[in-house]
Amino acid sequence: MTNSPEMRDLARRLLTYEAVADKNSRPMESPTLRAYEKLRQCLVSFAGVASFQSIAVRALVLAQAEDPSLCAVQVTADGELQALGDVELLTKLDKDTVGSRQAGEDPPGEAGAILIARILGLLLTFLGEALTLSLLRNAWPDATFDDRNSGNGRKA
Amino acid sequence: MTAEDKVKINKLPTGVPGLDEIVGGGLPEFSFNIIAGAPGSGKTTLAHQFVFTNATPERPALYFTVLGESAIKMLRYQQQYTFFDPSLLPGSIRFINLSQVVLEKDLGAVLEEITKEVTKSSPAVVVVDSFRTMVRGPQDGMDLQAFIQRLALFLASWQATTFLIGEYAEDELRDNPIFTVADGLFWLRQTTERNSIVRKLQIVKLRGQASVPGLHTFRITNAGVQAFSRTFGLTANRRSALGLKRLSFGIPEMDKMLDGGVREGDSVLVAGSSGTGKSVLATQFIAEGIRQGESGIVAVFEERPQAYAERAATLGLDLEKPQRDGKLEILYLRPLDLSVDETMHSILSAVKKVGAKRLVIDSLAGFEMALSPGFRADFRESLYRMIFALTGIGVTILSTVEVDESFIEFPFSTYSISFLTDDIIRLRYVSIDGQLRKIMTVIKMRGGNHAKDIREYEITSDGVVILGKRLTNYQGLIGGLPVHTGRSAAQEDALHDSEVERNS
Repeated sequence: MTNSPEMRDLARRLLTYEAVADKNSRPMESPTLRAYEKLRQCLVSFAGVASFQSIAVRALVLAQAEDPSLCAVQVTADGELQALGDVELLTKLDKDTVGSRQAGEDPPGEAGAILIARILGLLLTFLGEALTLSLLRNAWPDATFDDRNSGNGRKA
Repeated sequence: MTAEDKVKINKLPTGVPGLDEIVGGGLPEFSFNIIAGAPGSGKTTLAHQFVFTNATPERPALYFTVLGESAIKMLRYQQQYTFFDPSLLPGSIRFINLSQVVLEKDLGAVLEEITKEVTKSSPAVVVVDSFRTMVRGPQDGMDLQAFIQRLALFLASWQATTFLIGEYAEDELRDNPIFTVADGLFWLRQTTERNSIVRKLQIVKLRGQASVPGLHTFRITNAGVQAFSRTFGLTANRRSALGLKRLSFGIPEMDKMLDGGVREGDSVLVAGSSGTGKSVLATQFIAEGIRQGESGIVAVFEERPQAYAERAATLGLDLEKPQRDGKLEILYLRPLDLSVDETMHSILSAVKKVGAKRLVIDSLAGFEMALSPGFRADFRESLYRMIFALTGIGVTILSTVEVDESFIEFPFSTYSISFLTDDIIRLRYVSIDGQLRKIMTVIKMRGGNHAKDIREYEITSDGVVILGKRLTNYQGLIGGLPVHTGRSAAQEDALHDSEVERNS
């Protein structure tokens, strides 16, 4: 769970979970925003707004280096994410227009997964696997997470 | 009102080894406590140990963080301790950050937030870390004292045991009205003494039960805070009746000098200059005990256990097997910043573990050197507490002490501790017939009719071997420069035998 592909995989699973689980959300609200918001609420509760905001900014800078389309995204002072929906929409339209992805290019919606993966990666660095999973279980109480020593598959 | 009519105050385990003993058996349930001390003194770690020990899913712990250390960093570091169980988060232990409320609102809002969370969770434990950072200026609507008073009232009603953590300097202890509200006040100190750090804990107040007064040393290891009570955790022990049993050295002539051996539960001091065989005698004492089925502990400060056992082997004494069999433990204690209480803790743990009857401390000089400089000043008083505590549980202690050889006086110890010991055996060099030879004498033996003889001895491959009878054909032996009386050894032996016959 420590390397980036694993983080990306976990982030994708969270986004997939959000895409199918929350049918009552606003149609325009992306799974990335919902996942981000759950992480924000959870982290702000125990670490404070300032702590979450600094982690989110750091994660965004790291994610922007991976996917320049995220350069338009910003984190506000209270930790909210701005302009991600626009970025995701534009990316989707571009892909639809062009029709097919170039080799090695990220799939649509991957920018969100990159950002969430970076947040998870920072949490893992600072808190370790056990506490990070504990936070995720708190944020997604209905999802199932496993640690790397568990034989159960990750279902989130 | 009878004892049954009185309200029973449950005592909660603190989760800090040694602290339950200091606070009188555990922390009073529903008490409102303040942990005060300078930054880095272990306040948060102590609170965490209490939280991890007492929180359950049914009665969780709420840990409110305010300004200062971020919760993420705090958890990053705290999880390194062995007591930290991440599976308890967030079901049993919930961390809640109040920094935004503190920054944007006043203490009234903070109290409201705490009240809301406590009402929601009905916690068994509440911690506010650090409550002192909540005071941001005179513009606050509620002052800190009023805030604490209302918080204490509220949390007591909600049956929560509470810790407020605050950074306080030593001189702030006096006349601080905030402390009057608390049921318990734990003061943690950390001082630098020469090159050593000394941590001490004081229970300044604790309502409802008697705590052990005074300053108790504590250490922070990867297991968290560990406290060492000044009473060494032996307050509940009844002092053992003085034993009638005599403990042998395994040296028949020596046992005779001691009226049959060392009395069980005595403290024996073997004093002599370098090379006189103090350690050899101590090793023989412990080995003979093991031979007779009495487990033992050797606390060494000047050599490592392996070297000690190897040296014993050169005397034909096997200390390896009893160690493997759990009948002997050789403790190596030499970190240079120990407290006597820590040393005692190690010794007592070993005594309990092997059921030791005999303890050798080799040597007091090494022991003193292993202590932090600040504790060396109290060495004599500390020895008194240690010897009293150990002999009280029936352990017989043999300590060695090096004394500077003098030819104008006959000192027993450099520590003026002879009053602490029941028996004193003095070894020394004497100059006889162009040789530096060794003599021993029993100086003192409480409750025993010890021999008054001065005996010559040698250290051979069999250990200490006492030669012949008492040295009667020399005068001034204890001065180290004896004068021959002019009588032959045979004449002296005849005189000695007739004297023995007269006395018997």
